[in-house]
Amino acid sequence: MKDITTFSFESKKNTVLVSHGRPPWYGANGLRTGDAFVVAVAGGSASGKTHVARQIVKTLGSIPTVIILSQDSFYKFHTPDELVLAHANMLDFDHPDAIDMPMFAACLADLKACKQSNIPIYSFSEHQRLRDTKYLYGATVIITEGIMALHDPALRELYDLKVFVQCDSDLMLARRIQRDLKERGREVGGILDQYLRFVKPSYDNFVRPTSSFADIIVPGSNNAVAIELICTHIRRQLADRASRFRQKIAIPHRYLLGTETCDVRVEDLNLTVLPQTRQVQGILTILRSKDTSRQDFIFFADRLSTILVECALQHLSYIPNTVVTPVGAKYTGKKLDSDSVCGVSILRSGGVLERGFRRSINNVPIGSVLVQSDVSTGEPLLLHAMLPAAVRFRHLAEHAWVFVLDSQIGTGAAAFMAIRILLDHGVRQDRIVFVTFLVALAGGVSVLRKAFPEVKIVCAAVDEEMREGWLDGYKGETNPEGVGRRLWVMQPGMGHIGDRYYL
Amino acid sequence: MASTSTNPSAAQAARQANTSTHLGALPSSVYTLPQTAQLEALYTIIRDKETSRGDFLFYSDRIIRLLVEEGLNHLPVVNRTIETPTGATYDGVGFEGKICGVSILRAGEAMEAGLREVCRSVRIGKILIQRDEETALPKLFYSKFPPDIAKRYVLLLDPMLATGGSAMKAVEVLMEHGVPEERIIFINLISAPEGLKTFCGKYPNVRVITGWVDQGLNEKAFIIPGLGDFGERRYCT
Repeated sequence: MKDITTFSFESKKNTVLVSHGRPPWYGANGLRTGDAFVVAVAGGSASGKTHVARQIVKTLGSIPTVIILSQDSFYKFHTPDELVLAHANMLDFDHPDAIDMPMFAACLADLKACKQSNIPIYSFSEHQRLRDTKYLYGATVIITEGIMALHDPALRELYDLKVFVQCDSDLMLARRIQRDLKERGREVGGILDQYLRFVKPSYDNFVRPTSSFADIIVPGSNNAVAIELICTHIRRQLADRASRFRQKIAIPHRYLLGTETCDVRVEDLNLTVLPQTRQVQGILTILRSKDTSRQDFIFFADRLSTILVECALQHLSYIPNTVVTPVGAKYTGKKLDSDSVCGVSILRSGGVLERGFRRSINNVPIGSVLVQSDVSTGEPLLLHAMLPAAVRFRHLAEHAWVFVLDSQIGTGAAAFMAIRILLDHGVRQDRIVFVTFLVALAGGVSVLRKAFPEVKIVCAAVDEEMREGWLDGYKGETNPEGVGRRLWVMQPGMGHIGDRYYL
Repeated sequence: MASTSTNPSAAQAARQANTSTHLGALPSSVYTLPQTAQLEALYTIIRDKETSRGDFLFYSDRIIRLLVEEGLNHLPVVNRTIETPTGATYDGVGFEGKICGVSILRAGEAMEAGLREVCRSVRIGKILIQRDEETALPKLFYSKFPPDIAKRYVLLLDPMLATGGSAMKAVEVLMEHGVPEERIIFINLISAPEGLKTFCGKYPNVRVITGWVDQGLNEKAFIIPGLGDFGERRYCT
């Protein structure tokens, strides 16, 4: 988590900022409730666009994830001839044709639709687009900035708010000289030559005219009032899009149906429940007992997770494969019909299943998501997502099998979020296998099942009840008023599995 | 010795469901793992002569763990009621009876790591049996057991059951040490039908847990298709 007030904006133009986590961007039906909010900031070179973007983020204060996307990333790949011109300051970077507008629009459209995007990286020192890309995902607010931000009609279609930063030409020139001398190590002669040849005509011909598309014209300096107005608008838009439903799904029969009896049947949930062999029953008894030592808890949790993952692996598809054995005999057996299997554990308690997962799949990549409850609302907040490469790239995600690990499905809030993240990345629903120790029958699993009918859920046992309780808040940095919140405990359950395994 | 009324074994259910597979009629004391596509894929990897030693270790360990888990399901349990950290009472079961492993040297030792992953710090006895060059019969060269072995359930480990000669000798030695036949559970990865028939004919009360039943033996008494010499592939190549 980066603190907004201390974050350095100078370092990179493309920035991901997280202040207090991302609230659900989907409803109880599993579908997205809305797009990310996109703000475009256009204006002449050195008019103060980055400053305005920065001020918007600062003024928004406690906001969910924000991505600042710079037009500079989308300069085209240059041919060797163009490269020579570029190094001689003779290439026109201020013409709309210098920018890969279709790619810019495609990346922005993905981010706006809450998908991942792997945007190009442009190196100013090499004057070239690099081979690497930068992975971006999970913004609630996206700010795009660049001189041509309002030029392309396809891009304009994607914006929710269009801002143009208006500034005097001589002021822009003065700032430009200062910046290029200091940051880009150029000479004054070269800077002026480039300005008169490209920058000024471009501003007059392509940039200034786009101010007519703007919703708001912001002055290039002394613009605090304008920024406050913009932020008020964004905050109101975000409040309208907030989705709160954890309480409703925690005990669905009580909050959605208004009855005190749970009529969910295990067979309707399409769960894969581990065969209740003597050993599995014995292990579950040990894990449930409050008198079990930490040492025993860890050992038997590892053993149960191994059995569970072995059982879950049956959900993968296998194809015929013929091999020759060392005694020279031919054998037609099977092999896994995929070379892309990975895991995502929901921290902290999903980590409890990681050892079993690693024991069963050799060298498997395991990503993680950190989901915590908002202290005041109890809603889940996504604080961190580190996903395996096989999920980060959409074309790979479409072929990947992803095992989601968590120790239990109680309210289902974290499971909901993890599955939504994977679907956002393009993972197929029927290739998501959720592996967990316990599922609460009366908890969120029935809503989860309705929302994601094809996800496979593998568990060791199904518990009947969800007991409702109240967690007293304590005053702290994140909770200045010390507000308490409702919480739910699975019965009979295993207690707090993460604590018992780690603390 | 008490036990719950629930189905003691996943393999039993699998056996009933698998009557149409390659297994045919097996002696009633033989239990195979559920013959899933996944298990078949594991066997395909360890059978392949091109498989690296690292992969052979990883995937044979996976099968061994499954076999040991299945073997342990034949041990008794008693009803046990406990309290959970949330204050609820839960009617579960507790494990009953002491166990020990006995590995037939040298290939059987390869199964010890898998055994200890499932049964933490379990005691392990050893037996060395080799073919007597004069009589061509299996002969006991060495054995070392925990002193109270007669009171324990014994998991007898040998990865391959070909003719069954050394396994039968091992059972004979265990019984001489006072272990009752019905307390011996013999665990192996691959069996030949001929060996199973001989072994189970002689010791019908020893339970045999096997991962896969192969076609049969060739003229040199190697299992076909088999996986070659398990100990050799595990330790040497």
